[in-house]
Amino acid sequence: MEKQMVISVMSKDRPGIIADVTGVIYELNGNLADLKQSVLCGYFTMILMVSFGDDITAGEIAEKISSVESETRLEVVVKDFVGTLDSGSVIGSNIYVITAQGANKNGLVARMGRLCFAYGINILDFDTAVSDGLYSMILHVDLAGVASLDDIYMAVEDFGREVELNVVMQHIDIFKATSDISL
Amino acid sequence: MSASRNILATIDMIQKEHLDVRTVTMGINLMECCGSNVQETCRKVESKIISVAGSFVGICDEVGKTYGIPVVNKRISITPIVHIGASFDRYGFIELAKALDRAATTVGVDILGGFSAQVEKGMTATDLEYIASLPEAISTTGKICASINIATTKKGINMDALKLVGQTVKDLAENTKENDGFGAAKFVVFCNQPGDNPFMAGAIHGLEEADVVLNVGVSGPGVIARALDRIIKNVGCANLRLDDLAEEIKQTTFRVTRCGELIGRRVSEKLGVEFGVVDLSLAPTPTIGDSVGEIFQILGVDDVGAPGSTAILAMLNDAVKKGGVFASKTVGGLSGAFIPVMEDAVLADAVEKGSLSLEKLEAMTCVCSVGLDMVPIPGSVGADTISAIIADEMALGMINQKTTAARLIPVPGKKAGEHVSFGGLFGASPILPVNNIGKSKRFIEWGGRIPAPIHSFKN
Repeated sequence: MEKQMVISVMSKDRPGIIADVTGVIYELNGNLADLKQSVLCGYFTMILMVSFGDDITAGEIAEKISSVESETRLEVVVKDFVGTLDSGSVIGSNIYVITAQGANKNGLVARMGRLCFAYGINILDFDTAVSDGLYSMILHVDLAGVASLDDIYMAVEDFGREVELNVVMQHIDIFKATSDISL
Repeated sequence: MSASRNILATIDMIQKEHLDVRTVTMGINLMECCGSNVQETCRKVESKIISVAGSFVGICDEVGKTYGIPVVNKRISITPIVHIGASFDRYGFIELAKALDRAATTVGVDILGGFSAQVEKGMTATDLEYIASLPEAISTTGKICASINIATTKKGINMDALKLVGQTVKDLAENTKENDGFGAAKFVVFCNQPGDNPFMAGAIHGLEEADVVLNVGVSGPGVIARALDRIIKNVGCANLRLDDLAEEIKQTTFRVTRCGELIGRRVSEKLGVEFGVVDLSLAPTPTIGDSVGEIFQILGVDDVGAPGSTAILAMLNDAVKKGGVFASKTVGGLSGAFIPVMEDAVLADAVEKGSLSLEKLEAMTCVCSVGLDMVPIPGSVGADTISAIIADEMALGMINQKTTAARLIPVPGKKAGEHVSFGGLFGASPILPVNNIGKSKRFIEWGGRIPAPIHSFKN
């Protein structure tokens, strides 16, 4: 009998973190199903979905990974997975991309988060960047739970005016079409 | 990071540069609608169009809204009407035009094209009746566009038909003189007319096509112009050469075409109709910033028509094809850059300044699609001279194995330099002067055919 675990790892970034963590998982006979990793301002973070035999506990896995010897400390959280696994694909008829660009100011992400929550928009991915003094937010959102697409378009437009950012919502297929070779 | 950059580049293209899909055109075969008399045929034609295209406009709007890219024009093309009205007299064809107009109005499309015939080698009695019906059929209907193919590379030029269409252009303009001859803007004469062109006035649903097919016309001269502006600003003129600019046009066309392909495929899926082709043409509108002429200026001539204009157009046309062909599963139609004088504010401005002449336009049509398009000429120009101008344009297409066309508007009561405006997408322009009026009469009087050209010894 196998069980699914969600593992979260954070650390000051250095070469070899993925090798260390996945090495421990391999030693514990874990089967890695999915992984997302990112580095922000020199800090490493990673979330993994792994299946293990039912003879090991979340606490044992966390302890094994945390005890890896290195110059940085790995902060690890391990949880039993609750729910059903899907493909994790963001491609679907209800996935849209919201972009917001303009001058940076405090509270923009919080306001965007509130907007999405207010309209039942589920954020799948959220990226921000500053380039040449221009602040950008890029969100992949799932609109499966929204009642009216028109309302969302209007809300996004109003939001852009309020926060003085150029905010645009566009279906993800458009970006696939203009950037991918196959359609 | 690369994904983010692509997303923001696409947002620039759609939002700042007003990307749209210029037209989705539903091609409908009407061969099954031939009845035993005019009334029965009209009834069957209306019935088929309404049953096939009833939800077409709504679905285009819905898909456009889902993707945030509007479908500007929803159009229908039909089997060339002479096949449906075989044995009709001119009055029968006029009744057919009215039935088509009613059907187009009922389903809510902008324009219906295919009130057409193909007479490149010879004309039947039906063809002659069809041509005779054109002035009244087109001037008394609102949404119907007509076209006639009078030449091909393989058959030559039908000079008997050519003589008739010169007079038809005059009659169409005269029948609509209260509107500056607007009727002539809905009639176009072709050499090598394609059967899957979604753009008007020359769209038809060729006999070689399936029962119902969707063809998409992408456009976006404004998108190309802004992409060129951006690369020039970011990289600097000193660091760019023409091949770099051609590459930028190619890549931008790829993105534009992909959006058209996506919208076309989604509309096709929802309608359960076969997806035909993407037509890659750069079709301008009179809106400022949506001009093919502006691209000429960015690429280095101060006014369209100046020496170098033909070379620029050759490069532009080729780069558009190269970017678009890879972006789409199936391309067709006209696929190139249009230079319709009245529909492009920068071209009209070049006419005003005297830098763009009819002769230079003719030279430029050797390297682009489609031909002398939306060209207003003085109302005093006779039918024989109009036929001769069209003959020259047909010869270019015939010899160069490409589509060429002529849509000339002899504006009743107006002279060269005076202005004409049709409003909306049809635009406005000063009237172009025509040189050597009345000097081609003996040539046109011969009739007969210019034989098809030899297909070897090409120099």
